[in-house]
Amino acid sequence: MVTHPLIAMRGIVKRYPGVTALRDVSLSVESGEVMALVGENGAGKSTLLKILAGAARADEGVIEISGETVQVHSPRESQARGIAVIYQELNLANDLSVAENIYVGREPKTRLGTVDFRTMERGAAELLSSLGIDIAPTEIVGNLNIALRQMVEIAKALLIDARVVVMDEPTSSLTEEEVETLLKLVRQLRSNGVSVIYVSHRMREIFEIADRITVMRDGAVVGVRDAKTTTPNDLVHMMVGRELEDLYGVRTSPVDATATPTLEVRGLSSGKLLHDVSFSVRPGEILALAGLIGAGRSDAAMTIFGAAKRGGGEILIDGQPMALRTPREAMDAGIGFVPEDRKHQGLFLGLPVRENMSSASLSKISRLSLVSRRRDRDLARQYAKQLGIRESAIEVAAGTLSGGNQQKVVLARWLARVPKLLILDEPTRGVDVGAKAEIYQLVRKIASEGVAILVISSELTEVLGIADRILVMREGYGVGELAAAEASEKRVMAMATGVQEDVS
Amino acid sequence: MTINGETVKRITQTTLDGGPALPAAARTSLSEKVRHRLLKIITARESTLGAVVILLVLYLSWASPYFFTAGNLTVVGRQIALALLISVGMTFVILIGGIDLSVGSVVALVSVLSGEAMVNAGLPPVVAVILALAAGALVGLVNGSINAFAGIPSFVVTLGMLAVARGLSLGISGGSTISGFPPGFLYIGQGAFLGIPVPVWIAAVVAIVAHFVLTRTTFGRHIYFVGSNEEAAKLSGIRVRRVKISVFVVASTLAAVSGILETARLSVGQPAAGNGYELLAIGAAVIGGTSLFGGVGGILGTALGTSLLLLIQNALILLGISAYWQQAFSGVIIVGAVALNMWRRQRN
Ligand SMILES: Nc1ncnc2c1ncn2[C@@H]1O[C@H](COP(=O)(O)OP(=O)(O)OP(=O)(O)O)[C@@H](O)[C@H]1O
Ligand SMILES: [Mg+2]
Repeated sequence: MVTHPLIAMRGIVKRYPGVTALRDVSLSVESGEVMALVGENGAGKSTLLKILAGAARADEGVIEISGETVQVHSPRESQARGIAVIYQELNLANDLSVAENIYVGREPKTRLGTVDFRTMERGAAELLSSLGIDIAPTEIVGNLNIALRQMVEIAKALLIDARVVVMDEPTSSLTEEEVETLLKLVRQLRSNGVSVIYVSHRMREIFEIADRITVMRDGAVVGVRDAKTTTPNDLVHMMVGRELEDLYGVRTSPVDATATPTLEVRGLSSGKLLHDVSFSVRPGEILALAGLIGAGRSDAAMTIFGAAKRGGGEILIDGQPMALRTPREAMDAGIGFVPEDRKHQGLFLGLPVRENMSSASLSKISRLSLVSRRRDRDLARQYAKQLGIRESAIEVAAGTLSGGNQQKVVLARWLARVPKLLILDEPTRGVDVGAKAEIYQLVRKIASEGVAILVISSELTEVLGIADRILVMREGYGVGELAAAEASEKRVMAMATGVQEDVS
Repeated sequence: MTINGETVKRITQTTLDGGPALPAAARTSLSEKVRHRLLKIITARESTLGAVVILLVLYLSWASPYFFTAGNLTVVGRQIALALLISVGMTFVILIGGIDLSVGSVVALVSVLSGEAMVNAGLPPVVAVILALAAGALVGLVNGSINAFAGIPSFVVTLGMLAVARGLSLGISGGSTISGFPPGFLYIGQGAFLGIPVPVWIAAVVAIVAHFVLTRTTFGRHIYFVGSNEEAAKLSGIRVRRVKISVFVVASTLAAVSGILETARLSVGQPAAGNGYELLAIGAAVIGGTSLFGGVGGILGTALGTSLLLLIQNALILLGISAYWQQAFSGVIIVGAVALNMWRRQRN
C-alpha cells in the first residue's frame, strides 16, 4: 500500500492584480510532523496557508488530504477536514468572553435551543487547563494582552479536533517565556499525532521545533530541508539568496557621554501601569527597554509620545521640561513613534502606501494646506528606495503588503520627519531576517547621525545585539539598567522576571 | 463628464477592484500613458455606475417622449442639485466612518427660519440666508462636538438631532407653512443662468470644490486618515476631534444650503420639508462606492449615485407609477444597489 502524506498541496498558483503571489508551489506534510515554513516577507507563506484554509482560492493547483483530492472553498470546509488555522492577525471578538470565543460557531445548546453557557464554560476551562493556560473562561477577551489572546486563538483551533494546526507567525507578539509555553504546546500536539505547519521568522524557534523546513522565496519553494541536517546560515542563504554576516551592525563612533540627553525621563508614572520610571537617552545612543509583555514598556513609550495620560513625573527634551500632552506636541518636540500594533495603531490599511508614508509630514508636502502631488510622490519614492520597498508598491493599498513591508512603511513615515528622538516599539515584529538586518542597519545609521533611539523589543537577542544600554522593566517599574558590555540574556531575564538566579 | 485621472487612480488603489495593476508609468511613452489612463478609467469603480446612468438616460429618452424635454430636464436637474448638496456633505461624514441622520431636519429648520426672517421679520434676503446658514452650521457644530468629545456614536447623536431640529421647526412655525418671499430670493431657487437652473450651478460648484478638498488638501487627507484608522491618525499627530467636528459642520451647512434653495424653489417655508432626505443621501453616497466603514469613497461616485436615484424617481413618475408607491420603490432600490455594490467588492 502506498502511504500518502497527510496534506499535499501541488502546483499552487495564486495571482493578485499586479503580482503573482504563488507560482507553482508544492507543500507536503506528514502526520505528526512539525513542518516549518520560512521565507522573506512577501514570499507567499500566508497566501499559501490561506488557500489551505479556504480563505483564498488558488488559481491553479490541487490540495490532497491523505491522498484524496479535495476542494476547500471556505474556512468552514477546511475546518470540517480537520485543518485549524491560527492567522497572523488574530480573529477574536474582543467584547465576548474567552469561552464564547473558543466556541464561536459551535456553541453547545440547551434543550430549549439557547446557548448552554455552563457546558461551554466548563469545556473551555478544561481545554485551557489541558493546555496549561491560566485564563478564566469568563474573562472578556478585550481585557487580555496579545499573548493571552493568542492562546485563546489556539484553544479555539484545538476545539475542532484538528489533524493539522496551521500557525502563521504565532510568536511574533510573544516574549521569550511565552514562546516557550507555546513551543511546549506544539510539542504536545505533535506527540498527540497532530501535524503542525509553523511559520516564523525566528530561526531559534524553528530549529527548536521543526522536523522539516520548507523554504520559500518570491512565491516559489526553493527547497525542503531536514531540520537536523541543516543550519540557520544555510536557511538564511536560501531565503534571501545571499549571506548576512552582521545582523545588528556595530557602533562606529562612541556616544558622547557628556552631551545633554535628547530625552530625559524623571519619575514617570501613568495610571496603574507605570510607576516612577527614570532614564535618559543621549544623541546617537540606542537605549532598549527590555521586559516581559505587560512590564510597562509600551506604556512608557505611549506616555512620552503624549498618547497616554501622564500621571506624574517629568519629561525633558534637550534639557527642557515639556508638557507633551498630545502626539502632536510630541511630534513638534521632535519625537517620532513607531507603535507596537501596526495594523491597529500604525497603518491606514485601505490607503495607498504613499499616503501612509506622508501622513505625519503633510505640512512638509503642502503649502496653504494644498498637497503637492509631486512632493508627495517624491517623498514616497525616496523612502521606498531607502527602505527597499519596490517602487510599484507605492500606489497599492498598504494592507496588501506583507508584514515586513508594512513595518517599513510605518518606519518611513517617521524617518520622513527627521526626528531627534525615535521611539520604536517592536520594530521587527513579523519582519524577515533580511529586512530585520536592513531595519537595524538603518537604525544604526540614523543613530550615527545623532538621533536618539528608544527601542522596545521582546526578542532578547535583538535587544542585546542593538542596544548601547538596556533598561529592564518589570510590572511598571524600572528595575535596573545594564550597559551593553555587562548584559547577557540570563541577566536580563533574571531582572525581567524578578527571579533571583546565579548570574555569575 | 471628464474624469480626473488622479481620483480614478486613488479609487482603483484603495478598493483593489481595478483590473490588472499598472506598472510604474514613469518613463513610458505618451500613447502608452493615454492607454493607461483609459484603462484606469475603464476599470475604475465609477465607470460601471456611470454606464448605468447613461443607459438609464438613453432608455428614458426612448421610453418616454417627455423625458428629454427642456421642462423635464430642468426639473430633474434641480432635484439632483438639491439632493447632491446633501449627499456631498453626507459623503464627508461617511468618509470618517460616521453618519448624519439630521440633514433632512436641518432642511426643515432652515426652511422655517428663512421664512420667519424674510417674511415675518422682514429682514433682507442676504441677511436671512446668512442667518439660516449659520443655524445649519451650528447644528453641525453641536452634532460634531457631542460625537467627538462625549464619544457618543454619530448615529445616536444625529438621530436625536433629527428629532430636535424637526421639533424646533414645527415649534417655531407653529406647524404652518410660510409664504410671501421677496422675488429676489426666489430667483436662487427658480431662476436660471445661461439656461441652466441656479441650483445646478451652485451644486456643481460645491461638488467640484468638495472633490478638490478631498483629493488635494491636507483636510481631505485627514478625513481619509480618520476614517481609515482613527487610532493611527491620532498617532500620526492628526487632531482627530477637530476633523470630526469640521465634517459634521460641512454636512449640516450643505444641508442648510439645500434647504434654502428648496425654500426658494417652492416659495414656501415649511416644517415638513426634507423628510427622508437622509436616506436618499446615504443611499447615494453608498451606491457611489463610499464605504460605511469610512476611509473609502469620493464625490464623483456620490454625484453618480445621486443622479441615478433621482433619475429612477423621475422614471417612476414618467412611467405613471403612483406617487404613493414611489417611496417604497426608492427604499428597495437603495438597499438593492448597495447590496449589489458590496457583493461586487467582496467578489474581487
Ligand atoms: N489581497 C491581496 N491583494 C494583492 N496582493 C496581495 C494580497 N495578499 C497578498 N498579496 C501579495 O502577495 C505576496 C505574498 O504575500 P504573503 O502575505 O503571502 O507573504 P508572506 O510570506 O506571508 O510574508 P510575511 O512574512 O511578511 O507575512 C505579496 O507580494 C503581497 O503583497
Ligand atoms: Mg505572512
